[in-house]
Amino acid sequence: MSETLFNEIRATKPSAPPELRERVRALAAQEPARAPFLARFEWRRPEWKRLVLLAPATLIVAVIAGSVIGLTRDDAVKGVGEDLVASSGATGTVTPERATPQQSDAQRNALKGLAAPPATADSGAPVPPVPGQLQRYEAELRLRVDDVEALSTATKRAQQIALQHSGSVASLQYDAPAEGVGAAQITLRVPTARVQSAMSQLSQLGTIVGQRYGIEDLQVQADSLQTQIEQTQRQIAQLVARLAATNIPAEDRVVLQSRLNNARQKLAGLREGLRGTTAEARTATIYLTLTTEEIEPAAVGGSRLDDVKDVLAWEAIALLYVVVVAGPFVLLGILVWLALRLRRRQVETRLLEQN
Amino acid sequence: MTLSARQPAFSASFAATAEEHLDDVYGYLVYLTRDRSLAEDLTADTFEKALRLWRRFDPTRASSRTWLCQIARTTALDWFRSEERRQRREERAAPPEQVDAVFSDGLSPHIEAALAELSAGEREVIALRVLLDLDGEEAARVLGISPTAVSTRLSRALKKLEEKVIVNV
Repeated sequence: MSETLFNEIRATKPSAPPELRERVRALAAQEPARAPFLARFEWRRPEWKRLVLLAPATLIVAVIAGSVIGLTRDDAVKGVGEDLVASSGATGTVTPERATPQQSDAQRNALKGLAAPPATADSGAPVPPVPGQLQRYEAELRLRVDDVEALSTATKRAQQIALQHSGSVASLQYDAPAEGVGAAQITLRVPTARVQSAMSQLSQLGTIVGQRYGIEDLQVQADSLQTQIEQTQRQIAQLVARLAATNIPAEDRVVLQSRLNNARQKLAGLREGLRGTTAEARTATIYLTLTTEEIEPAAVGGSRLDDVKDVLAWEAIALLYVVVVAGPFVLLGILVWLALRLRRRQVETRLLEQN
Repeated sequence: MTLSARQPAFSASFAATAEEHLDDVYGYLVYLTRDRSLAEDLTADTFEKALRLWRRFDPTRASSRTWLCQIARTTALDWFRSEERRQRREERAAPPEQVDAVFSDGLSPHIEAALAELSAGEREVIALRVLLDLDGEEAARVLGISPTAVSTRLSRALKKLEEKVIVNV
């Protein structure tokens, strides 16, 4: 039955009347000129295929952008960041305002709590002290050595380096168990003028796993002490001159004598303080820690790959942020679209059933 | 057979495409509306729209016949919608104008009568699958449903048509 039905329906397919055919021909004669040449190359792939191609394309662009940004990132900016890791906890207490024009840029950075350029950190030699400027200089160096034997050798060598630089060993703690992690903590004092050389040699004793240093300006303190010494000296001279006079009453003489003694004691204290300050500035303290523990060396030099990873990580965070923020709106849009589609379908079905 | 293999090259002119598929579009609309006069108007409207959209036609997504049938369907549905609004506006009580269905010359009266008793939805699936001989995928694209749904809809429509034919005979 169905086949007969099919055949009859097909055989009697309605044919467009001549008027309609003419009408459509006249319409088709108005066909616009061909699209511009470039429009022929218009992308005509289905939407889902576009998305399939768009996703990897976006990923490639993101990776390329991340790589370019990571590789071309300003070295100066990177250097500060890396050294903040290397010199975390820097104990510089001199305020930046106190830095003198003679100080190098690197030292200015150090005074601000930043640090020297990577090259300095690499060599193990921190910011050099400024000649002629009284400064308290402290440095901390953490090195990893291969084994207990190397630990022993490095400890001895550290002491030798201190002596070679006219310094001394202030304290030493050495712990080398038969099994486990061996460590040595050595406090060295070396002349500030030679601290850079000493640090450079000490850093050769192992792999640098941490380094920090602190600089405190003592010049102001010394200048203040010097001013007080001069004032006290003038005061003493005046008191001596008054006591030399013969016409002062006995009671006043006793008082003046007492003041003179106090002034002389004060002067001695001030001179002692100035000597101490000067001595402190003359000698730098180096806290050296040697360990056999497997510690990942600090990224003092940094690697380009890390930079690329950083940028890509930020891109991923940004993407996640966009997804989180835009996600609900997209979802809402999809739901509205689905609802409208369903409604349209219902209306169409009803219309087709009614007609 | 791929779409590109069975359809004319994209370089085909609109005039050639219109000439080739005019009867298909007209036949589809006759079955959908049961009114040859209305189908003529809707066919003309369909080709007007198609001409405007011709530059956007993508032969990799559908054949030109499928594309024209999609436009024809939208045009017919728009007309049904506007007609429904017009009837609602004018007089609710007045019954819709009855049209003497003449699907095509030479069709048996009992088949014609049976077709006229089917709904537009049933007639259109018969038109697409039987009259125009579209395959399940193409018909599904025109109707905006899955090929499986087309199969189901077609078998129900044919069953109903057969029943009506038997009754009319």
